Amino acid sequence: MSNELSFSNEIANVMYATHGNPIKDCLQCGTCSGTCPAVEFMDHTPRAIIGLINAGYRDEVLASNTFWSCASCYHCTVRCPAGIDIADMMYALKRYSMWKGQHQEGLIGPVFAQSFVKMIVDSGRSFEPLLAPTYIFKHGPRGLVQEAQTATGLMLKGRLPLLPKKIKGLKKFQNMVRRIIPIGEPS
Amino acid sequence: MSEKIGVYVCHCGTNIAGTVDVKGVAEWAAEHLKHRGVVIGRDYKFMCSSLGQELVENDIKELGLTRVIVAACSPHLHEKTFRTACERAGLNPYLCEMVSIREQVSWVHTDKVAATEKSKAAISGGVERVIHNEPLEPIQVPIHADTLVVGGGIAGIQAALEIADAGYHVCLVEREPSIGGHMAQFDKTFPTLDCAACILTPKMVEVGAHPNITLLTWSEVEKVDGFVGNFKATIRKKASYVNTDSCTGCGICWEKCPKKVVDDVFEAGMGIRKAIYRPFAQAVPKYPVMDVENCTYFKNSKCKACQLFCPTEPNSINFEQKDEILEVQAGNIILATGYDLFDATRIPQYGYGKLPNVFTSLEFERMCNAAGPTEGKIVLRDMKTAPKSVVVVHCVGSRDENYNKYCSSICCMQSLKFAHLVMERTGAEVYNCYIDIRTPSKDYEEFYKRVLEEGGHFIRGKVAEITDAARIPEEEGKLIVQVEDTLIGKQRRIPVDMVILSAGLEPRHDAKEVGKLFGIACGASGWYTERHPKLDPVATMTDGVYIAGCVQGPKDIPASVVQGAAAAARVLGKIQQGVISLEPIRASINKDQCSGCRICNGLCPFNAIAYIEDDNVSDINPALCQGCGTCVAACPAGAISGTGFSNEQIIAQIDGLLLRNLEPAGV
Repeated sequence: MSNELSFSNEIANVMYATHGNPIKDCLQCGTCSGTCPAVEFMDHTPRAIIGLINAGYRDEVLASNTFWSCASCYHCTVRCPAGIDIADMMYALKRYSMWKGQHQEGLIGPVFAQSFVKMIVDSGRSFEPLLAPTYIFKHGPRGLVQEAQTATGLMLKGRLPLLPKKIKGLKKFQNMVRRIIPIGEPS
Repeated sequence: MSEKIGVYVCHCGTNIAGTVDVKGVAEWAAEHLKHRGVVIGRDYKFMCSSLGQELVENDIKELGLTRVIVAACSPHLHEKTFRTACERAGLNPYLCEMVSIREQVSWVHTDKVAATEKSKAAISGGVERVIHNEPLEPIQVPIHADTLVVGGGIAGIQAALEIADAGYHVCLVEREPSIGGHMAQFDKTFPTLDCAACILTPKMVEVGAHPNITLLTWSEVEKVDGFVGNFKATIRKKASYVNTDSCTGCGICWEKCPKKVVDDVFEAGMGIRKAIYRPFAQAVPKYPVMDVENCTYFKNSKCKACQLFCPTEPNSINFEQKDEILEVQAGNIILATGYDLFDATRIPQYGYGKLPNVFTSLEFERMCNAAGPTEGKIVLRDMKTAPKSVVVVHCVGSRDENYNKYCSSICCMQSLKFAHLVMERTGAEVYNCYIDIRTPSKDYEEFYKRVLEEGGHFIRGKVAEITDAARIPEEEGKLIVQVEDTLIGKQRRIPVDMVILSAGLEPRHDAKEVGKLFGIACGASGWYTERHPKLDPVATMTDGVYIAGCVQGPKDIPASVVQGAAAAARVLGKIQQGVISLEPIRASINKDQCSGCRICNGLCPFNAIAYIEDDNVSDINPALCQGCGTCVAACPAGAISGTGFSNEQIIAQIDGLLLRNLEPAGV
């Protein structure tokens, strides 16, 4: 056996080890894809993604939009006859994809994820007005107007701050985060 | 040290020699265990070969060995071989011990040096143990020539007929009013499509009329005492309220009975029977039984229509009848109690029980059956509309960690049969949704091909859900089966009229309790455990108790018949022997030490321990005891000791393992 990790093992390592069975247990029955409410937006069905992972098709998997389209409803996880936590595998693929900096162009997911994480790391809080531009233009002018209306309403009610706030002890928080995800050395 | 011990170390080809320095181990034993009585240490390529055995025999004769240690594979495999070899050479076989250096050393280690050292320690332990071994004689017990067969399905019927035809008496006990089991409910049997009743009923009639078979239907075994060769079963023959001496089975009683009951057992809930009933026309025996829970007379003390109209003289209906308790002697027991169908309501996304046109496999079988509730017409739940499209769902409750992990083995062929019958009788479009099609028996793959050629559609994907929530006009009023067609990688929604769930097989709901009754154990999936999965599939760990058919695991009719016949052959072999030798590895109670606390009584998995009121002590039946050691460990007074596993032996073996027996200079 070679000492180099297979792609399947790499993804397994990124998944939370305590949940579910290894993805190698997949018997390709398609229960996940048959169940998935978002499957029509995916270029590969969830089952096909597991098949591609286990067969070592790294680039094809990372170029896929499947895991970025996952709605995290966990229906697949509940029904999987092999006991695989498929929804969690989708998260693992997102993390892996961001870690390797390799993903399909033109997707909202990676950009959103990046700006979200950056914002949290910088301020310790989510600030909607800065986050919104990553997805707001995707839905055309009508969507834009709708979002703007909602935002105005929230602002008038005091539910949406005008300026971003930072948490106390930001440095300590950043050091904590640094232990989990690679966000670079402290500046 | 007066013992003369021979140590033989097997290479097992490279199985052991590849990891353990066998020659070194043999030489070490001869040199360093000399002071413990080892007079010879040899290694040999295959100890189990005739030449290897002769090596031991010759040494016993020439060197006068009094104890033998064979360091090789697990005693499960070759203990008997070497003990027999010792016996041939005139040494009591129980003075030979095996040390497993294959399963416990070479197969589980890669470090050669460490494995060699571990082998030495294991052999040293074996030597210390064998010094304390005592010569034992097998226990001889006579075998009663009668056999008890429990369960009157096809496996039990086959077993009973084989034994009865050989001239020995059989008592066949069946819980339901008739023998026949699940097979009697089916319509056609795969792959040849013979009518199930046509091939089964002649056998049922034969059982009913056989002079060597006592048939006890509507009966259950309540208690089993005794041991191989001498079982005593207590059987409750439930009151049927019908006098079988005068009853002719004419059928007037159930014709006149005013109480209609949904038949959940034989008709799988699809049909109606009366409170007094015979489950089906070809039932054996032909006599009806009374369902007390539903009988109007037993509820309201009036009616008695059956008795009123019974034409026999004397009247065959007897409302005063009581349960009978019978005692049956038997030398051997065959358990063929079958399976339960997986309860499809456990999978909510398949909608069984909520969506009317979702059927289980057994419901569909009854529907196909010409004697069934629809007289063989395949119709929707409204009992009149023929379906135009049908989905057969495979693996319902099988191959699924949420329900049963195992493959139920019959569902693929059963589903193919359903597809064929639907196409043949209704011309409907049929879709089979499967994970894998498994057709591993004679003519099965040919049947699959036949269904393909007949135009059956096959979708490779496990059905995710069945719903009546339409998204598009074409789906209105239909059942929508949502599934990924994995071969094209697309989620499909197939609108159909009818869905058949090919439900898997499960161990009987009371398999555990019944197993305890007969002193046999269930495996992880709940099926009874055979003595060896390949080489001894119908025997159990309890001598004299055999299993046949689906009790041992899911199987189809041909395989059940094979096991029924196999179990019968094993029983006949035992009967022919007349007496049986039992391993003398048994536990015994020191009556002076026993406090009569009875902790051991309930723990014994073989019901071998009984409490003797008069003496206020427990006693072990040596023929029933399997020497498992549970009671030995549990006894708070240390009053129980196991032959061959005495404290002395075990402590000596541990000392040996720790090499405490070596002389300081020899370490």
